[in-house]
Parts: sequence; structure tokens; C-alpha cells
Amino acid sequence: MKYQSQSVAKLYFIAAIGLFVGQILFGLVMGLQYVVGDFLFPEIPFNVARMVHTNLLIVWLLFGFMGSAYYLVPEEAERELVAPWLAKLMFWIFLAAGAATIVGYLLLSYSDLAKLTQDDLLPTMGREFLEQPTITKLGIVVVALAFLFSIGMTILKGRKTVVNLVLLIGLTGLAVFFLFSFYNPENLVLDKYYWWWVVHLWVEGVWELILGSILAFILIKTTGVDREVIEKWLYVIIAMTLITGLIGTGHHYYWIGTPAFWQWWGSIFSAMEPIPFFMMTIFAFNMVNRRRRNHPNKAAVLWALGTAVMAFLGAGVWGFLHTLAPVNYYTHGTQITAAHGHMAFYGAYVMIVLAMISYAMPMLRGRRAANSPRSQVLEMWSFWLMTVSMVFITLFLTGAGILQTYLQRYSDQPLDFMTVQDKISLFYWLRELAGAVFLIGLVIYVVSFFAGTDEPEVAEKVEVDA
Amino acid sequence: MSETFTKSMARNIFYGGSVFFFLLFLALTFASHQEFPKRDNHEALTPIVAKGKRVWETHDCIGCHTLLGEGAYFAPELGNVYKRFGNSTEAIKAFIKSRPVDGVPGRRSMPQFNLSDEELEAVAQFLKYASGIKTVRSWPPNIKG
Amino acid sequence: MTEKNRQPPGDLAIWIFICAELGVFAVFFAAYAFTRAQHVELFNRYQQTLNSNYALINTLALITSSYFVVRAVAAIRDDHQRSCARWLGAAIAMGGVFLVVKSMEYHHHFSAGVTLSTNTFYMFYLSLTFFHFMHVLMGMVILAAVALKARRGGYSASAYTGVETGASYWHMVDLVWIILFPLVYVMR
Repeated sequence: MKYQSQSVAKLYFIAAIGLFVGQILFGLVMGLQYVVGDFLFPEIPFNVARMVHTNLLIVWLLFGFMGSAYYLVPEEAERELVAPWLAKLMFWIFLAAGAATIVGYLLLSYSDLAKLTQDDLLPTMGREFLEQPTITKLGIVVVALAFLFSIGMTILKGRKTVVNLVLLIGLTGLAVFFLFSFYNPENLVLDKYYWWWVVHLWVEGVWELILGSILAFILIKTTGVDREVIEKWLYVIIAMTLITGLIGTGHHYYWIGTPAFWQWWGSIFSAMEPIPFFMMTIFAFNMVNRRRRNHPNKAAVLWALGTAVMAFLGAGVWGFLHTLAPVNYYTHGTQITAAHGHMAFYGAYVMIVLAMISYAMPMLRGRRAANSPRSQVLEMWSFWLMTVSMVFITLFLTGAGILQTYLQRYSDQPLDFMTVQDKISLFYWLRELAGAVFLIGLVIYVVSFFAGTDEPEVAEKVEVDA
Repeated sequence: MSETFTKSMARNIFYGGSVFFFLLFLALTFASHQEFPKRDNHEALTPIVAKGKRVWETHDCIGCHTLLGEGAYFAPELGNVYKRFGNSTEAIKAFIKSRPVDGVPGRRSMPQFNLSDEELEAVAQFLKYASGIKTVRSWPPNIKG
Repeated sequence: MTEKNRQPPGDLAIWIFICAELGVFAVFFAAYAFTRAQHVELFNRYQQTLNSNYALINTLALITSSYFVVRAVAAIRDDHQRSCARWLGAAIAMGGVFLVVKSMEYHHHFSAGVTLSTNTFYMFYLSLTFFHFMHVLMGMVILAAVALKARRGGYSASAYTGVETGASYWHMVDLVWIILFPLVYVMR
């Protein structure tokens, strides 16, 4: 760790992992509710478990992005963070606000929470992923502005590498598009149109810039490949991201009262959205193959390569499967969507944060470059358990989705929703089993931080094997 | 003498391409706004429907249901529930009102929200309004949602 | 003496994007052809509302501008920086002619109340031509940047990749129109 102030990242990473565990616990609750319908009813109805699960996901990923930025920006900018005290303060404020919000979801009925937080003054509650009370959202804006200030000033006063600039653009875009969460018109079509300016333009837009820059940073550090090469490819990848993803927003505009031209524009451009993910996969493997050093942190390299592959599969391939309008007509709002959503989020964003933690944490905890062999082996086990079980979760939900689409949408004698859900329950049981294995993987992941801490770290092998 | 692929070329393509497609996206957004009044059923967007949207939001219905295919996949699509319930707001109100407090044993259960008569009427009108939005190809494909 | 080029002129990155661009236009053209086959009468009827004279002027404008771009590249190969910039300026002017004529066409249609949602023919016509229009605009911006740099002496007979890169992009934009024009305006 070259700069003292990089240490603030550790707080963010620890919180991220803690919230990740919470997210998965609630995910398992939901998975069980799918098949034992009244599990924990009425104390924790499904929608409450869901908003806890999704909000925890988004918040822990934000903690992960912030921690990643606080770690890599000083190193890239070749100077200390501008105001580490601000980063620490914002950490506690964000954590407290987040915790209070989750507690609010669990302890109060949602309508009571809305009354308590005076949602009526500026109603922004009650939309998917944006369930937070308006005051929480305002708090997020404050935290985001302070964060952008910290990171932005550090970059402006230091070396402006491409990695830094792309990360900054991505994070700024994240903050700007979040502002659309405050726009909640009475007109349902307008509501939905602009809701996607938060969600799509985040995960299929500016978040990919964040993903790309963090991946580029890890590859520069672990492979030793010339920065010029890596940064050039980063530009190409993010260019393809926005070129395809901006008009690609149209694949959310097929059936919500938006005009028919989106069927064409959305299908053509969103069909190309896998391209940047495909490039990222080639890019990651290529850089590792051309490496000039054998970095001792094998786990981090595994996470980095895994991110590229799983992001391509989950976001790229599974996304493509249901992105064309003629297909989407039948699959819209089914378990196909859930299947894609899980693998895409895990592959792209969960994994890149875990990759960064894998790379940075050893040094944040005083190591030179990597953890002990025992710790790394455990971590790599957790990688495989979580990744393979996520593949199975996705496959089971895909099976459920295909059956659901046929029985409820495509068949000449369509069955009603609840009847179909009953018929596909085997897939849900299997999904829950896979989810349990995922949790085991996550537990091993947490354990890996405590294993082998007294043992010497893996040493770097000097020559690259032929 | 031609050079191969330069970083500054890649950078220019990123900035140029992003601006280009952002402007195009704005143009298509403008075109969408022009068309919305023909599809969005705004004529039916009365104050009670607006209140109904608030009831919908403050009870997080989207947390279990989908609306025009968007939301959660635990409970049925409600964009066409007005039609599915025989074009009846009374039927919708009766359903919501009759949810058992402790749920249905072993089955997916909807909470009893204890809505006032005004709130029930409002959310039913909201769902009626939603069913009147002119989706392309009249999505969903059938009455089941 | 110039060596025989092993690689295409200009930066390799631009060729990746030119291929991608041509690919997207190809998909759009294919979608147009496919849809037209399903609505032949509709397409034939509304095609008559298009002004093929304007389109012909535009075709001539773009072809002429491409010729000017060829002269610009030839000029810089002989180290004539100012001449290069002037030829590029002429090309940009022809691009401007294209934009003006196209805008006149659009004005005519929009005044008649035509939008992207009027019918499938107009959806394709407006989408294809507007997408192309924006590429012409983008091409003009690129040529302008190259022309300014040429005037300031930023290129020479031994270093003119940027000129070739910009020229290649412009030729692609011209090529797309050469296909679009007969497909949308003429073919019945």
C-alpha cells in the first residue's frame, strides 16, 4: 500500500462484505417463500424481504465501488487522498442511514414508514429498487457528492491516468442518473420511462465504466502489461458500452405504453450490448496471457478472469436470449428476467468488487502483495462454490422461466399465474438448494479472511514459465 | 506511414460515440414524448387515479406484483387485472379487502392492508387506468397476464 | 517514395468501428427489406411521398464531397498542408449542402404531421435517414478537426494518418448513402 490514506478503503470493504451476507440471508428467505408461500408471513412478507435483499445488494456494491475508488485513485493519481477524514465521515453516515433504512423496512409497515418519513412532501417511495424513503435518497445524494468531491479533487491534483478518468466519469454518471429517482410523475408511462434512466443507464451504462476501470487497474497491477495497451482497450470497451447501451435502453421500452419504433431501435442496439462484455473477456485473458510477472495473488487474478467470463455469460448471453422484441413479448416479467438478473449482477458487479477486495485487502492488512497459501486456497474455493452455484441458480430459474413462458403466455390454453407457479415449484426448490450452496461459499469466503493470517504470504516466482 | 491502433483514437471514438448516441437517445426521447399522449391514457388520469398511484406506491405493491411486466415475480401481473376481473373495480376492491390477516396456510399470501374505502376505490381506479394504456401488440399476450 | 501499405489507411481502430458501423446499417437495411416484404403496398404508397429530386441532389453532394476528400489526402501526401485543409473545407461545405437539403425534406414531412409513429414505412424512412444524417454531421465534425489541424501544420507527408482516418470515415458515410438512396427512394 503506497499511500496512507488508501486505508479508508478497508472500512468500506468490511461493510460491503457484511451487507453482502445480509443480502444472501434475505435471498434465502425469499427463495423459501417462493415454495412455502407463507414462510415468515405476516411479520416479513415477501415484498419486505425483497426490498431488503435488493437494497442491500445495491448499497453493498456502492460501498464496494467507493472502497475501490479510495484504494485505487491515490495510487493512480500518485498522491494521498485529498480529505481522508471526509471519506471516513461519509462511511459512517452512509452506513447509519443504510442500516436505519433496512431497520425501517423490517420494523414498520411500508405505509407507516412512508408516513413517518413524510413521503408526501416529495413522493419517491414505492418503486422497485428505489424503495428508500425520500430522506434516505437525499442522504445518498449528499454522500455521493462528498465522495465525488474527495475522489475528483484527488484526481485533479494528481496524475490523471485513463483509469482514474474513466472511473470518475462512471461515478459521476452514477450520481447524475440517480437524480432521476426523484422524478416520480403521476403518469405511469412517464414514470416507467424515466425509471429506466436510473436502472438501465446505471447497470448497462455508467456502472460498466466503473467495472472496466477497476478491471483495468487490477490487470495493470497483476500482469505488468504496459499501461498504454490496457488503457487503450479500456477506451474501446467503454466506447462500445455506451454506443450500444444508450439506445439499448429501448429494450425496456417495448411494452410499457411507449411507441412502436422502440421495438426496432431497442432490439438492434441491445442485441449488440454483449459486445463490450465479449471484448472484456478477450481483453482479460489476453492480458493475463501476455503477463510479464507471476503475481503472487492468484486469487485476485482468478476473480478478475472470472468476472469477465461471468459478466459475459450473465449480462451478455442471458441478456441476449430475451432482448429481441419478438421473444421478449412472451418472456417479459417472467423467471427468465430473474435468471438473467441474478447472473448478470453477480458476474459483473459482485465479482468485480470481490476481485478488487481480493487484490487490495491483503495490502490494506499489512501484507506486501498477497495472502498466505491457505487463505488464498480457501478464497479460491469460495470463488468456485459461489460461481458454480450461481450458474445453477440461473439454470434452474431459466428452466422455470421457459416453462412459465410456455404455460402462461405462449400456449393456446394459457394457465393462470398461481397455477403455473405451482407447476414449476420443483425448479424453485432446486434454486433454493443452489442458493444454500452459495451461502456456504460465502461463509468460506468470510473465513478466508481469518485463515492463515499468521502464515507467510505466497512469494512471487521470478521467471515466467515457458 | 500509417500507425496502428492508437490510444488517442480509441479515446476519440469513446467521446465522439458517447456524445453521438446520447444526442440520438435524446432525439428518440423527444419522439417518444410526442407519441405518449396517444398511448398513455392520460384522459383517465384523474385526481383519484393519482391518489391510487400513491396507494400503490406506499404499500409497495410492486414488491410482489408486476405492472406492465415490471416489478416482482411473486404474484400476478396487475396491468390487466381490471379486465381479468371482468372490468370491475368492485371485484378488485373486494379481493384486496378480503385478504386474511394471517395469510393462507402454506400458500403465497397477500397482506391485509386495512385500506380505507377511499384508498380502495383509488387503487382500483389506478389499476383500471393502467389497463387502458395502449401497449404495443396489446401486451400482455393474454388475459392471464 | 511512399511504401506500399500493408495495412489499411488510417488508424486500425477506425476500421474496427467502420466495420461495426457498416454492420449496424446492414442490420437496419435488412430489417427494412424484411419489413418491406411484408408491407409492400404500404411501402410503395408512402415511398411516393418522398422527394427523389432532393435525394438526387444529396447523392451528388456526397459523391462530390468524397472526391474532395480524395484530393485532400492526395494533397497532404505531397506535403501541401494548406491545400489539404482547403479541400477538406470544400468537402465539409458539400456535407453542409446535404444537411440543408435533408432538413428541407424533413421540414416538409414534419409539417404534414409525419412522425416516427405514423406508420412502419415512415418509421424506417425517418430512422434510417436520421441515423445517417447524424453520421454526416459527425463526419463533418471529424473532417473539421482534421482540417484545423492540417492548417496548423499538424500533418505532413510522412505523418498523415489522421487525415486518412477521417477520410475513411467520410467515405463510409458516403457508401451508406449510396445504398440507402436506391433502397428507400427508388426501389419498388
